[in-house]
Amino acid sequence: MISASVLNEWYPVAMASQIRAGKTRETLLLGQPITVTLTGDAVTVQGKSGPLHVCEHYGHVWACPGTPAHDLFPIPEAAQPGRRLVDVGVVRVKCSPLRAVENFLDIAHFPFIHTDVLGAEPHTEVNRYEVAIREESDEVWATKVTFYQPQAAKSAAGGIVQPLTEELCDVWPWMALFDDTTPQAELIAFQQMIFLQDRSILENQIPRLLPLDPGMEIPTQADLTSIAYRRWLKRRGLTYGAQMVAA
Amino acid sequence: MKTDWHAAALARDVPPKVVVAAQFDGVELAVWRSASGKLSAWKDRCPHRGMRLSHGFVRGETLSCIYHGWVYGTSGACQHIPAHPDLTPPSAIRADAYDCIEAGGVIWLAPLGTASAPPDLAGLTPVRTIFVNASAAQLSAAVPNLRGDHALRGSVDMGGAAVELCLLLQPRASGGVAVHLLCADQADRIRASRWLENLRRMAEEGIAA
Repeated sequence: MISASVLNEWYPVAMASQIRAGKTRETLLLGQPITVTLTGDAVTVQGKSGPLHVCEHYGHVWACPGTPAHDLFPIPEAAQPGRRLVDVGVVRVKCSPLRAVENFLDIAHFPFIHTDVLGAEPHTEVNRYEVAIREESDEVWATKVTFYQPQAAKSAAGGIVQPLTEELCDVWPWMALFDDTTPQAELIAFQQMIFLQDRSILENQIPRLLPLDPGMEIPTQADLTSIAYRRWLKRRGLTYGAQMVAA
Repeated sequence: MKTDWHAAALARDVPPKVVVAAQFDGVELAVWRSASGKLSAWKDRCPHRGMRLSHGFVRGETLSCIYHGWVYGTSGACQHIPAHPDLTPPSAIRADAYDCIEAGGVIWLAPLGTASAPPDLAGLTPVRTIFVNASAAQLSAAVPNLRGDHALRGSVDMGGAAVELCLLLQPRASGGVAVHLLCADQADRIRASRWLENLRRMAEEGIAA
């Protein structure tokens, strides 16, 4: 039984450009089969018991299987003049969608997983930064984050995560950057390399579900964002892909 | 031969500064050897974010988790957290250790504090390890003339020659079994190795020997 708070959120289910080009996507959302397709000029998402709410933003189709609790969150970078949005494609990952999101919030792994690209020893220290749950937008924000990065592009990079099941997700690495010169293929190859390095971690964390029991995993100060994220998930009942009690 | 100890790997397959994945009674473990040769076996899970420690790296007398580089000494205690280089890690941060020793060219695992000694393999030489996609019971059934529980011993006819050997079986959570082959006579190692490959095929296809 999936809770209303989970069902009433927006989830990415396809690249808008592919659906608009006439491709139909048969996929899963929260364990249920859905079909994303073009009907006339409208993108529709059909579930077993009828159509889902749909919107298109940031190059993606988003669906809500319940009654949308709010509009889709804004990504101000996506609309910033001069930013170039890069479609990297999709990567299937055998992990909880919540683990995939949490990894995007983590910087301490850069020197070890993205060695000499996003980080490098001995520059491993994570200085104190600030984390807040902004009540007005209901979002987790980390600010004043500084880190030594040998090659990071001046970009806003992250990922868009579709929860297929509690232990399986599709991730679209996503970036919006100030760069009009680097060839598209090079940017895509770079971002794919980075995310495949992340996947080698995500598919080897035990358990596959994200533990929300505080006794199960030991955080430090560098994990303030992850701590806030786990609290926020728990408070909002967004527990699809989470493990509540240690097994 | 009933024993508290399970064979994890052949000793030569885990040289200094190497970490491998192993299992004990269905529990996934990381087995590693320090630069000076000390063996350790821990649950295959970093206490920080659950990453498999068997994906980590050995430096000197420590194993580091590949995810955030947390450094663990041979006692299992976390010694260093790279994100906070000036912090002395709390003693509660430690890997969950098993007993792990080398004897007779084999790396043996047992629950922490096991008093007994591992099986005596005097007179036997390790040959190789293979993984068989069949249960320990199916494998044992394929060699009725070998006797034992986790260690099958006896003599096998190989093309007219009687070869004395031992198979150490290590059941795996996935359903398969790791088989470590040891021979009495070093000269038999190649024919025994071929015989074992054939045994794997028969066990996987459900054919009795």
